[in-house]
Amino acid sequence: MARIVQRLPSVSPTRLLIWRAGAVIAALLLTTLFLALSGRDPALLAELVVRSTVGSRFGLEDLALFMTPLMLTGAAVTVTSRIGIWNIGAEGQFYAGAIGAAGIGLFVHGPALLVLPLMTFCGVLCGMAWILVPTLARAYASVNEIITTLLLNFVAALLTSYLAVGPWHDRVTGALASTARLPVAIPDLWGVVHWGFPLALAVVAILAATLDRTRWGYEVRISGANPEAARYAGIPVRARIVAVMLLSGALAALAGVSEVAGTVHRLQGGIANNFGYFGIVVAVLARGSCLNVLPAALLMAFILDSGIVLQTQQLTASTVLAITGLVLFMISIGDELAHYRPVSTSKEAAP
Amino acid sequence: MIALLTGMLATAVLAGGVLALAALGEVLAERVGVTNLGVEGLMSLGAVVAIITVVATPNPWLGLLAATVAGAAGGMVFACAAVIMRANQVLCGLAVTFMGLGLSATIGHDYAGMPSPATFGHVAIPILSALPIVGPAVFAQNLLVYLIYLVLPAAAHWVMFHTRHGLNMRAVGENPAAADAAGIAVTSMRFWYVTLGAGLAGAAGGYLTLTYVPVWSEGLIAGRGWIALALVIFAGYRPFAATLSGLLFGLITALSFVGQARNWPIAPAILNMLPYLGTIAFIIVPVVVWHRIRRVMAAPAALGVPYHRDIR
Repeated sequence: MARIVQRLPSVSPTRLLIWRAGAVIAALLLTTLFLALSGRDPALLAELVVRSTVGSRFGLEDLALFMTPLMLTGAAVTVTSRIGIWNIGAEGQFYAGAIGAAGIGLFVHGPALLVLPLMTFCGVLCGMAWILVPTLARAYASVNEIITTLLLNFVAALLTSYLAVGPWHDRVTGALASTARLPVAIPDLWGVVHWGFPLALAVVAILAATLDRTRWGYEVRISGANPEAARYAGIPVRARIVAVMLLSGALAALAGVSEVAGTVHRLQGGIANNFGYFGIVVAVLARGSCLNVLPAALLMAFILDSGIVLQTQQLTASTVLAITGLVLFMISIGDELAHYRPVSTSKEAAP
Repeated sequence: MIALLTGMLATAVLAGGVLALAALGEVLAERVGVTNLGVEGLMSLGAVVAIITVVATPNPWLGLLAATVAGAAGGMVFACAAVIMRANQVLCGLAVTFMGLGLSATIGHDYAGMPSPATFGHVAIPILSALPIVGPAVFAQNLLVYLIYLVLPAAAHWVMFHTRHGLNMRAVGENPAAADAAGIAVTSMRFWYVTLGAGLAGAAGGYLTLTYVPVWSEGLIAGRGWIALALVIFAGYRPFAATLSGLLFGLITALSFVGQARNWPIAPAILNMLPYLGTIAFIIVPVVVWHRIRRVMAAPAALGVPYHRDIR
C-alpha cells in the first residue's frame, strides 16, 4: 500500500506552533458558528470581547487578575508533567492553600508584614499535605495519580464550603456561605491588580531556571523520560517523584493563597473557580516548558475574561468550560497531526 | 434495625447502579487499550439529554435511549481524535469532560430544577419481594437494576472471556501490534468499543436522572464519572467485579444518607466526602496490603498507548 503521509518521531517548535494556532482558530470558529446558530450576533460579541479584555484598562486589569492563579496552577501541572505525572488535583490543592491562608488570616492578628508570610507558609503547607497521600501512593505503590489527586478535589471543595457555611461563617454581617473579610490583604499594585501578579511571574521564572539549569532539574527530566535508565544511573527516582509532586501541590496552593489574600479577601465555596482544571490546559499548551506557561496563561486568561462577556449575553458560565474543552480538544488533535508530513510516492518506491 | 438495613441496601442498589453502568462501559474501552477520561462529561450529557427527552415525550425508555445515543455520540467524537487520529488520550479525555460538563449545563439551563416528568417505576417481583431485607431492596426496584447488575455484565463477561471475538478484543488491548499482524482490525475494534462504552456512560447519566435523582441541576454528576474510572482499576478490568464494586460504593453513599437522616453528630458535608475518600482508600489499600494483586489485577499492557502501525 502506497502511503501518502509519514509520521515524524519528533516535531519542530515552529511546525507545532503553526498547527496549534490553526487548532485554536478552528476552535474559535466552531464557537462562533455555535453562537451564531443560537441566534447571537458574533460581530457584536467579538467587539464586546475585545473591549472587555485588551481594549480597556479595566479589561487589562481583569486579564492580569485571571492570569495570576493560572500561571501558578499551570506551573504546578507543568512540573509534574516533567516527570511524566499528571497532577489533576491542582483544584483541590488550590482549595487547601486557600483554607490554610484564610485560617491564619482570620484567627492570627498582627501586622500585615508578619501575617502575610505566615498565611503563605501555612497555605503552602496545606497544599503539600493535600497531595501527600497521592504522592506516597504513586511513588511507593504505583497507584494511578490521576484518579487519587482528582477525587481529593471533591473532598477539598466540600471542606471549603463546610468551613465557609459552618464553623468559619461570617457572624458579623451574616453573609451567606462566606467567611468574614480578612483583616490583611496583599497590597494593590495597579488598579485591582495586586502584588501577587509580579510574585507569580517571579515564581515561574525561578522554577524555569531550576528545572532547565540545575542538576536537580535534569535528574527530574531523566526520571520522567526513562525511569529504568535513571535508576541505573543512580538517580533516586522515588525521591524525585515525591519532591516534584509536593512542589506541585505547593505551587497550586500558592495560587489559592494569592486568590484569598489578594483578590477575594475571604474564603467562600467554589473559590477555586476551576482554576486548577484550567491549569491543566495551561500546562498542556506549555508542553512541559515553564517559560511557555506565561503565554499559555495569557491565552487562558483571555478565554476566561471573554467568558464574562458571554455571561452578560445570557450564556451560562459553563459555556466557557465547553469552549475551553473545545480548545483543548483541537490542540490535542493538532499536536498529533503536526507529526505527519506528506511523502511523494516516487520517494516511497526508491528503497 | 431491619427497616434501616432495608433502606440502606435499597439506596445502595439504586445509587450503585449509576457507578456500575459507567464502570462497565469503561471496562469495555480500557480492555481494548483506550483510557476514556471523558466519562464524567458523557454522564452529564446523558443525564441532561434524558431529562430533555422525557419533558418532550414522557417515556422513560425513550429518555434512556436518547441518553445512550448522546453518550455514544460523544464517545465517537472522542474516538475520532484519540483512536483514529491517535491524539493523546489523557488530553482528549479531559477535553471531552470539559465539553460534556459545559455543554450539558448550557443546553440544560432552562431545565434546571425541573423534576423529571417520567421515571422508571418500581416493580415488585411476586414471592421474591416478600423476602426480608433483600426482598424490598433488590426485588422491588426498577427493572433497569437487573439489566445493570445481571444482564449486561453477564453478556460482557461471556463475550470477553468465552468467545473468539473477546480474545481478539483483549489482544488489541494487550498487544495491538501482534493483534494487527494476526489480521485483527485494531482501529475499528478500539473505535467501536470506546463508542459502546461511552454509550453506557451516557446511559448511566440517564439512569441517574430517570430513577435515583429525578431532577437536573448543574454539577449533578459530582465526580461519579471519576469514581467509576477508579472502580475499573479496583475491579481489575473485570465486568462483574466492576458492577459489584459499583454496589459497594452504593453502600458507602447509602451510609452517608443514613447518617444525615438519623442526625448523626457529623456534618453532612463530611458525610458527603465518604464516597470520594472511600474510593481513594479502595484503590490504595489493596496494593499496599497485598503486593501480588498488582499482577493479578494488572491493566491491559497497551492501555493508554496510541497504536501506530508505522512504528516497528
